[in-house]
Amino acid sequence: MPDTTAKTTIELRILRYCPSTDTEPAFGSFQVPYSDDMSVLQALQEIKATLDGSLAFRWSCRMAVCGSCGMMINGEPKLACNTFLRDLAPGPVTVEPLQNFPIERDLVVTVGDFVKKIESIYPYVMPKVPKTVEEGTYLQTPSQMEAYASFADCINCMLCYAACPQYGANPDFIGPGAMALLQRYSSDSRDGGQQARLDQIRGEDGVWSCTAVGICSEVCPKQVDPANAVNQNKSNSALDFFLSGLRKESVT
Amino acid sequence: MSERRPYLRPQPRTWWAHPPYRAYTIRELCGVALAVYGAILLAGLVCLARGPAAFESYRAFLASPLSLALHLLLLAAALWHMVTWFRILPKTMPKLVWHGKLVPQALMTQAATLLAVGCSVALLALVVVVGAWS
Repeated sequence: MPDTTAKTTIELRILRYCPSTDTEPAFGSFQVPYSDDMSVLQALQEIKATLDGSLAFRWSCRMAVCGSCGMMINGEPKLACNTFLRDLAPGPVTVEPLQNFPIERDLVVTVGDFVKKIESIYPYVMPKVPKTVEEGTYLQTPSQMEAYASFADCINCMLCYAACPQYGANPDFIGPGAMALLQRYSSDSRDGGQQARLDQIRGEDGVWSCTAVGICSEVCPKQVDPANAVNQNKSNSALDFFLSGLRKESVT
Repeated sequence: MSERRPYLRPQPRTWWAHPPYRAYTIRELCGVALAVYGAILLAGLVCLARGPAAFESYRAFLASPLSLALHLLLLAAALWHMVTWFRILPKTMPKLVWHGKLVPQALMTQAATLLAVGCSVALLALVVVVGAWS
């Protein structure tokens, strides 16, 4: 059995930024004692508790469920809670806030724009035909659920946005995470909101900024495959464009 | 008093040249190679329309070492383009559910690659047969 209690130290180079005193971010270096079972998040907590109480970072669940502790670790978007120092030893380990997002302070980035994008795609089931409670529940077979289940695993950690060069080039691009959530609802057999969502994603800032780089799916910690969601909706959006004339005729 | 002053780090201009984006850039550049090959074929058609002398000079160009080297390069680019595009093919398709379970993406890639290889072999066989017959 390897001794997991033996402690040695590892260097963490952390990008620091304090809006009230700094003109731009700069790296600060910390030597942290660590053991084999220690995550990057635990190292940050250790720094905050013993070395520098002003270090700012987000975290909550410590088990890759809440999606709060996304950051760039050695240049890759990762969850700090399921990235282990033993895999990065002997270091130094570079820790930066998520790429492509404005930095609020240290490792904390602005999430308002992302939240607006999530809200814009109607992230809830819009029933085709509303039912009353007396009429019973909306039923679904296991196969119908399988069609969207993987997209429902998204934890809004924004790693896919940090990996996406097209989002970096065009921050108005709706991006992979919102598209995964859109696909979760639009491919739900109980949902009737497909048209409303398609109206939100046409054009350059919608689905068409994607050039199928595919890194979003590679960095996803929950195997949600947002690249698949984006590209399925390119097809849906193109079909919608060609059918839009027919649809208007049928409405009037 | 709010001390908010969000700092947006600029995206490096050469992001496409560095890992992990380099593989994507090479895949897309292989598409340019396909366009170049299309232009070579089109030039052949134009020469054919201009008359026998023009077409003979086009054939002479095709037989030159420079042309052969270029075609080898274009073939390699086309093959790489095929391999990498079939790798991302499952990302562009709807989820396939078979007997209540998702069809693995690797299986979709393998099936599409096999189909492409089969078509290429059939086309090659057809060219050989027609060439021998004529």
